[in-house]
Amino acid sequence: MFKKNAVAAGMAAFASVALTAGCAVADGSKGSDVDITAMSAEELAEHLIFETDSFRDQEMQEGGTWRDRMTQDELQKACSMEGDPDGETAGRVVAMARASYEAPESIELGDWRKGAELADSGYGYRQGHRTDDHSQREAGGNCYNCHVFDPRVSDQGTIGPSLQNYGANRGTSEAVLRYVHEVISNPHQYFPCTQMPRFNSDRHQLLSDEQISHIMAYLLDPESPVNNQ
Amino acid sequence: MFKKALLALPVAMAVGAAAQAGEWQDPNDVLQNLLQNNPDSAYLHQSEMNIMMMPDNPALWLIDEGEELFYAERGPNNVSLEGCDFGKGPGELEGAYVELPRYFEDTGKVMDFEMRLVHCMKELQGFTSDDPAVARRHGNGSDIMQLTTYIAHQSSGMAWNPPLDHPEEQAMRDAGEVLFFRRGGAMDFNCASCHGDSGKQIRASVLPEMRNGQEWTKAVSWPAHRAGHDNVRSQNHRIRGCVWQMRHAGIKADTPVNTALISFWNDAARGEPAVLPDLKR
Ligand code: HEC
Ligand code: HEC
Repeated sequence: MFKKNAVAAGMAAFASVALTAGCAVADGSKGSDVDITAMSAEELAEHLIFETDSFRDQEMQEGGTWRDRMTQDELQKACSMEGDPDGETAGRVVAMARASYEAPESIELGDWRKGAELADSGYGYRQGHRTDDHSQREAGGNCYNCHVFDPRVSDQGTIGPSLQNYGANRGTSEAVLRYVHEVISNPHQYFPCTQMPRFNSDRHQLLSDEQISHIMAYLLDPESPVNNQ
Repeated sequence: MFKKALLALPVAMAVGAAAQAGEWQDPNDVLQNLLQNNPDSAYLHQSEMNIMMMPDNPALWLIDEGEELFYAERGPNNVSLEGCDFGKGPGELEGAYVELPRYFEDTGKVMDFEMRLVHCMKELQGFTSDDPAVARRHGNGSDIMQLTTYIAHQSSGMAWNPPLDHPEEQAMRDAGEVLFFRRGGAMDFNCASCHGDSGKQIRASVLPEMRNGQEWTKAVSWPAHRAGHDNVRSQNHRIRGCVWQMRHAGIKADTPVNTALISFWNDAARGEPAVLPDLKR
């Protein structure tokens, strides 16, 4: 994607111009010595992220540096367009997502009460002026930001479809369990370039298998308030 | 307070499609027009309470303080900010805010409003990064927010019109568009994950759609009093909040990623009247 060579060449070519113009000052208040107009918009975006000191140098909760977090994987690259992916991209993304998914040997439903808390919690993975400390509090799934689960709970998002009565309508067959596990782990297997995050993929594991089993219980357990509307 | 007489001066030069948007208008009048023109926008109509409070927007209280700060002789160099050029000439504030970011010859780069303000406070007044006047970026008590509110208010009702004539302005705007759609971070979000559709909600917040100009002009109209924070907030503060929610890395103030995003988002509101200052949830 971002061609390091192109930038290096750009820097060499424009260093002399910048020097004669007297604007190659390191305090950041002067223009940089890179000709940003020589880059494509994509190259410039990568340059701005990685070479202009725009982000805090912090360690990420999932491990690694801010650079690791900001570096796109193939799926993120493929989905960085406006609107829906074209047929070719969609097919490629589904294939990528399927290839990296590892099905667990067996899937069991956990505790829907714990699942309700996890689905509700927006804590976790935030970085910057305030940084979520996972040693103080477990990270949640953010599901409520985008989905209605239980309309009796106020303030639920509508970016994704309502999941009210999800289990009541579908049951708890092996096929349903497998499908829901697949969607929560990596929804791009079914919805290429969906807005929904991958919670357990080759990129990283945001929710543990146990946490996913609790959230699945919240969605599917006949006792869960989601299924008793 | 705000000098009406000054505003009556011929702003009418800003011709074109958005002719009537070229003149200064009270922020409440701008909002009322947006509401009337878009009776079905769930985003614009989401808070009856805020709409009612708009004539008494607490952000208006910062304007006087900002004006005093602007004309006061301050800093180690003991000069006012009248020498600061926001793109329309030294001390010319009318319409300046809606025509940023722009390329500045003296620094050789594209700068957004806050970056330019800080530049002037340092270069003209002699403040350093550690002086509270510059270091404190957020909150009603900060010089930066008081100055921002006063200066932005001089562009209320005028159409967003960030210049794109200089190749660097165009380059930053285009990179900002790429950044808007760039999926990344711990949760694969881009800005469009939440601002790609009209009327969608994150919890109780109805989200503005970027391609809907009349929603988007209100969305990018910062400074705004944020009722939930009980403080006036800036464009940079909004970006920091969204990037934080996105689980990208922590963004710093006065940085080119901010400038690029603002170049794009002000352009996405081009031609639509700014609500300055606004009132948000
Ligand atoms: C950023 C928003 C967002 C978040 C956060 C999110 N989802 Fe989703 N989810 C969606 C969208 C959008 C879809 C629909 C797929 C599509 O069309 O893109 C979806 C689809 C689903 C589906 C499949 C529905 C079907 O038709 O079978 C399930 C199940 C689901 N989400 C569960 C969850 C759970 C559990 C969480 C939390 C761990 C979660 N989602 C977090 C946006 C989100
Ligand atoms: C995870 C969802 C999410 C993502 C991704 C996101 N935002 Fe936001 N954004 C919000 C929410 C929620 C609000 C409204 C806050 C409120 O009402 O309390 C908001 C508000 C805004 C507003 C002001 C509108 C208003 O009324 O407050 C702008 C402008 C904006 N976002 C731009 C961006 C940009 C630019 C990006 C990408 C860098 C981005 N957002 C990414 C959730 C998101």
